[in-house]
Formats: sequence, structure tokens, C-alpha cells
Amino acid sequence: MIEFQSVSKHYSADAIALSEVSLHIAKGELVYLAGPSGAGKSTLMKMVAAIERPTSGRVIVSGHDVGRLKKAGVPFLRRNLGLIFQHQRLLNDRHILANVMLPLIVTGAPKAQAEQRARAALEKVGLSERAKALPLELSGGEQQRVAIARAIVNRPQIILADEPTANLDRAAADRVIDALHAFHAVGVTVVISTHDEQILDSAARVIRLEHGHLVHAAPVGGAA
Amino acid sequence: MNIWFRQHRFALGAALGHLRKAPGSFLFNVVVVAVALALPFAGVTLLDNVKPMAEQLSVDPEISLFLKADTGRAEAEALAPQLRQILHGSRAKVDFVPREQALANLKESSGLSDVIETLGDNPLPDSYVMKLEGFASGADAARVDGIAEQLRALPGVDTVQVDSAWVKRLAALLGVLRLALLLLAVTLGVVVIAVVFNTIRLQVLTQKDEIAVSKLLGATDNFIHRPFYYTGALLGLCAGAVALGAVALALRPLNAAIAEFARLYASDFQLAALPLLGVVALLAISAALGLVGAMLSVQRHLARLH
Repeated sequence: MIEFQSVSKHYSADAIALSEVSLHIAKGELVYLAGPSGAGKSTLMKMVAAIERPTSGRVIVSGHDVGRLKKAGVPFLRRNLGLIFQHQRLLNDRHILANVMLPLIVTGAPKAQAEQRARAALEKVGLSERAKALPLELSGGEQQRVAIARAIVNRPQIILADEPTANLDRAAADRVIDALHAFHAVGVTVVISTHDEQILDSAARVIRLEHGHLVHAAPVGGAA
Repeated sequence: MNIWFRQHRFALGAALGHLRKAPGSFLFNVVVVAVALALPFAGVTLLDNVKPMAEQLSVDPEISLFLKADTGRAEAEALAPQLRQILHGSRAKVDFVPREQALANLKESSGLSDVIETLGDNPLPDSYVMKLEGFASGADAARVDGIAEQLRALPGVDTVQVDSAWVKRLAALLGVLRLALLLLAVTLGVVVIAVVFNTIRLQVLTQKDEIAVSKLLGATDNFIHRPFYYTGALLGLCAGAVALGAVALALRPLNAAIAEFARLYASDFQLAALPLLGVVALLAISAALGLVGAMLSVQRHLARLH
């Protein structure tokens, strides 16, 4: 599903975000990306979504070489991904239902269908009652669950969550992680980056990065 | 096709939504663009009114051919077939004016009959007056000059006078007016594009978060660009409508003033508003200018955002 083949990313000679990273994430897997700030977790996530391109090596997502993907093909790759960011990136000038509808609207889905599916997605994250609330009227944990609803509304094959619990208290963080686990349970490939070691305790597979180098990529208990 | 239509409907809705959020700013921009458009629109309206009037003016050139004083009457009258041969292919009225008639005309028109009586011999020569019809353009004026050259080469001809100044002046005046209007329209068209360019630039900046998020969610460039295109075209269209309305309103007081002036010349000339086809064409041009401004702005500023 996701494959990195000797991938490096250099922003400059001194700024090396990733160095010769090779890994494979199978379809339906739930994988945690761990490592301190600046380890290259976000860069790795961005490469999967074609937000960044590798300096060398190949990134294969659902059979497509992301590094060679033409500009016009990028939106269609992203429509198969559910992206969740640390700072949610919700649009504060519209209610959360409109935020969740946006991934469907950009694909040209009929408005009524988009609204129906957005309401269903909000229900899955327990926010159907707040559909008409503005993002700033919600707590950080609720905002992150809106972001999850927006990520899954398009029924993506892969969910990429970059530090989704970074700014949340333990209870809110657990609800977010539970929601992501629920989507993994129905067959979605989920990649979560975090530096929260408590979350990693229950992880089946952790990929560790340090200073752009892969230090551990195997399932828990396996070899590096 | 359905998706294409839905996405355009969404883009139009998004453009209208943004306009609703800042109606004052939009109206201000409409007024600025309308002021720029009103001048060339007024010029087009004026030309559209003047053109048929100019076409009705009698500007057919007249050629006067004066014979040498010693040319005999029979010799003078014998020139008529040669003149017709030279004018062959042109609609022309040829009149022979004997020197006696010319003198009588002079006495009558000048009011100096007593003075003329003192001259003794008639000093005026026999002449031909040729009125050419259907010579109205600058190119026709050149043809008239060519005819005059041939007439000068005839035996017994002393002087040939061409009165085609009307044709030349009117053609030149209309040409200058058209050129001035074109230059004005181009200049103000650039102003319109610049105003729309800046309006869209500000919109792109205020919506940069929405643009960035939409791209991350799989929006294509076309999806992101379209609302701005609609905004530009709507701005141009609304400004065009306001400019046309302003010109139509200005016609009332103008026509009141023109009516007084025209009465002095026994005319009932009035400026009329443009016909429907002209209105539609100017509205389309206004919308197109807005669209061009938006496209240029989007290409430049979204490329920077990316």
C-alpha cells in the first residue's frame, strides 16, 4: 500500500529531513510513526500525500510513484487519502458540517449527497449534534474529531494523522485514537505520527525515526 | 457533464458567497470599474449616433474644369464626350457652364453687378462642373484626385479644381475619432483589468487558508481557480451594466441641450441609446475584461501561494 525505497529528502546540504529510508506498510495496517521533533515524521507523511517530493528514492502509494506523479494527478491521489493535521486546519468561517462536506464538494459530489455523508461522518466521531457549530465554538478534542470526520468522509484507503493528539488532554487524545482505531478495524490503512509514548504502548507496529534515519520499522517484538 | 455543471454551479455560488460577505468592497470596485468603462461606452454611443448622420451628409465631391480663355465654344462643347469617357464607371452629373452664364451667376451671387459691368469684356472662361456621386471614403478621395489629373491633361484645359475636401475631412475626422476611441478603450480596458487584478489578489490572500486546505483535500487547480474567475467576470458584468446605465441616464440632459442646438439648424437630431445587440456586446466585453483580470491575477498569485 505504502512503500519507501531508499528515500532521502534534503532541503539543503545541512538540512536533511530523511536519509535512505526504506519501509513498507501493508494494506489495512495500523502503524505508528514515532520519534522526537525533527526526526522526519512529518516529512515522511507529507511525501505520502505528495506535499513533498523525495530528493532521491521512490515513494509508492497504492501502486503510484508519488515522486513522478504529474501535478494534475496529485489531487486524485489525495482524494484516496484522509489527512489529519496537528492543528486541524478547519475553516473557521463556516460550520463544521460545511468543513466535513468539503472533500466531497471538491470531487463534484452532489450537495445533498455530500451533506448526508458528512452528517454520517460526524455521527461516527460523536459530533452529529454540533453540525451547525463553528469550529471555534468547539474544544480542541472536538475540533480534532471534526478533522477526523473530514478525513474519513471520502472513504479513503489510507488515513494519515500527523500528531493528532499533540495539543489534547489525555481523555480527548484517547477518544481521537479510539476513533482512528475504529477506522482501522474496518480495513482502512492508518498511519499515525506521535511522540506520545503512552499511546505507543498499545501499538502493534511502530516505525521509529531519529534525525531522518529509520531506527525501527518492524512490528513490536520484531527485528529493526 | 453533471460533475462539470455542479462544479461550475459551486464556483458561481462560492463567488456570490464571497461577494455577499463583503458587499461594500464589491460595490466600490464596481463603481471604479464602471467609471473606467463609462467613457468608452459614451464614445461608442456617440459614434453609433453620429455614423448614420455622417452618412447622410452631402459630401459628394465636385470638380470644376475651367477652359483657357481663347478656347472656342465648339471646341469647348466637343470636350463633353471626353469628359464622360474619363468619368466612365463613375456616377456623375456633368454640366457645361458657358462664360455668359458664369458671369450672370457671379452678378447674381456676389451682389457686385455694377462693379462687374465696368469690366467691359467678360473675363470668365467656359467651364464644366462635374458632381460625382457615391464618393464618400478616403479611398474614393484618391480616385477623385486621379480623375482630376486626367482632366488636366485634356487639350484647352486651363485649371481643374477639386472640391473633395469634405470627403477627406469627414473621413479623416471619423478615422481620428475611431482611433481615439480605440486608444481610450484600450487604455481604460487596461485600467479595468488592473482593478480586477488587484481585487482578485486581495481575495486570494484572504482565502489562502481555504485554498491550501482545499488542495490538501484533493481540489484541482480548476476547482480553486473557478470562483475567482466568476468573481472577475461578475465584477466586469456589473460594472458594464452600471456604466451603460450611467450613459443612458446622461443622454437625457444631453438630448435636452442638443435639441436646442439642433433647432437652430432645423434638425431634430437626438442621441439614442445603443441597440440591444450593442448593449449585449458591451456587457460581454466588460465581463471578458473582468475575466482576463481575474485569470492574470489567479495565475500570478496562486502560483506564489503554491
